[in-house]
Amino acid sequence: MDLKASRADAPSDGPAICIEGLVKDYGAVHAVQGINLDVSRGEVFGFLGPNGAGKTTTIRCLLDLLRPTAGRLEVLGLDPRRDSLALRSRVAYMPGELRLPERMTGAGLVAAVGRLRGGFDTRRRDSLAERLDLDLSRRLRELSSGNRRKVALLLAFLADAELLVLDEPTNGLDPLMQREFLALVREAKERGTTIFLSSHVLSEVQRAADHVAVLRQGTLVAVGGVDELRRRARQRIEVWFDGPAPTQELAALPDLVNQHTEDQRFTALLAGSIEPLLAVLARQHVVSLLVEEPDLEEAFLDLYEAAS
Amino acid sequence: MRGRWAELIGGPFRASWRAGLGWSIALVVLIVSTVAFWPAFRGASGITQAIDQLPAPLLGAFGLEGFGTPAGYLRGGLYELLIPLVFAAAGVLFANGATAGEEDVGRLELFVSQPVSRVAFFAGRSVAVFAWLAVLTLVALAAQLASDQIFGVPIDTGRVVATVVLCGLLGAVVAGLCLAVAGLAARPQLVQSVGFSVAYISYLILALFPLSSLLAPWREIAPWGWALGGDPLVNGAEVWRYLLLGGPAVLLAVLGALAFERRDIRSA
Repeated sequence: MDLKASRADAPSDGPAICIEGLVKDYGAVHAVQGINLDVSRGEVFGFLGPNGAGKTTTIRCLLDLLRPTAGRLEVLGLDPRRDSLALRSRVAYMPGELRLPERMTGAGLVAAVGRLRGGFDTRRRDSLAERLDLDLSRRLRELSSGNRRKVALLLAFLADAELLVLDEPTNGLDPLMQREFLALVREAKERGTTIFLSSHVLSEVQRAADHVAVLRQGTLVAVGGVDELRRRARQRIEVWFDGPAPTQELAALPDLVNQHTEDQRFTALLAGSIEPLLAVLARQHVVSLLVEEPDLEEAFLDLYEAAS
Repeated sequence: MRGRWAELIGGPFRASWRAGLGWSIALVVLIVSTVAFWPAFRGASGITQAIDQLPAPLLGAFGLEGFGTPAGYLRGGLYELLIPLVFAAAGVLFANGATAGEEDVGRLELFVSQPVSRVAFFAGRSVAVFAWLAVLTLVALAAQLASDQIFGVPIDTGRVVATVVLCGLLGAVVAGLCLAVAGLAARPQLVQSVGFSVAYISYLILALFPLSSLLAPWREIAPWGWALGGDPLVNGAEVWRYLLLGGPAVLLAVLGALAFERRDIRSA
């Protein structure tokens, strides 16, 4: 499946990320199989998929850490390979698999990365460390995996980059810190930063992202707004009738699946328009009607089921 | 820009200080403990006579010619095998640790994604490796010259300097080879295998080829021979030996940087 997001609200200076026909093979393993994607400037874009779907491979191609087998990439209007140096000064990246130099202190690592980036604002460093409840004087090997992730988050948000690429940023963070992370994302967005957020934590993406792409086995299975994606998912329907349910009429409805009747109670999943169902219900004595909006997790699972 | 280069070179240099300290201590202990026995050998003519009675090819193979002389004693005890071996091993391990070893465990990703070119990144690490070998060379030189003074080894200082510097350059050329392999692939086992194999084989060539009249003319075809084939403790060293070791060391590191620029970076 090959989808491409189109944005009516895309600014005139082009998308922050443009991926066309990206293919990345590792020998016989096809990690990414020709994906197309646009990410607008200034938005929070969620990149969803389970482990092994190709999210990290795509991200690493965007940052010129991997060389694509085929396809064209453009990040902030630059070619990641040809303009890699210029691009990296405008992008901050937080790797998903964090391996930090264990003997360094957090402050030492921040200083080292700062020297490579031409310097960091120390007041902002201290402020971020306080918000993330992070002791930068401790050696990285003494920190828990969650605290190491906080160090990487601090580095990413400290860079004041135009594009933040965060690969599974909240793995190992406690709920309080996840909330702080979302606040940092919102603040960065308000400053005009584009945030490309890879995750398999759907609730996090649901709260943070404007648009999402769902990746499965190296191909995109859906791209769209979070609300749009939810709409595309099946809604759970529950109807209580003032008498026996009209099972024959309901069975004839094309978009109503997994139908189940129990005396006066009828449940099903609605995969399309609700109008035909409402037409049937209008002729009945209905006691109650419940239409549950699916969350992104259900939407995600639905898309996966549909794709497989 | 200066801060960036200071980090590109200084970062990996500082990260290796424990290894550098360990190698320094090893060199000092090795040199001092060997030279400390010189006074005993100087007076024990029986031992030197017994060694001199060994077949000439064996004496040559194990660097024991003239074992009763200061140069022969230092050659047989230190500079035939042990000191160059320490430098070669340090070269392999420093180079591997700064590049393929770090990349293999995913520690390079965060740094390579910063605004520095891959060539500059790799060059910085290569310079750090060579800098540590230079430090070890100075440490070995200081330990040797001090021990010579303390234990009364009458030997020309210039020849000692030449020998120790050539050992350091042997380490550098082996390190350069490892950097080239690491630039091609983030495989630490491969890097170490290639480095140690080349060092060992080149020692065998210098030590064993003279045992065969057919192979003897080729004894200096490998780096160990370039460094020590001319018996620098006795004869000093020609300029071409320094160039033949230093040139390829730098060239191989440059090839490594160019290869590193062209391939995928390994993640954890």
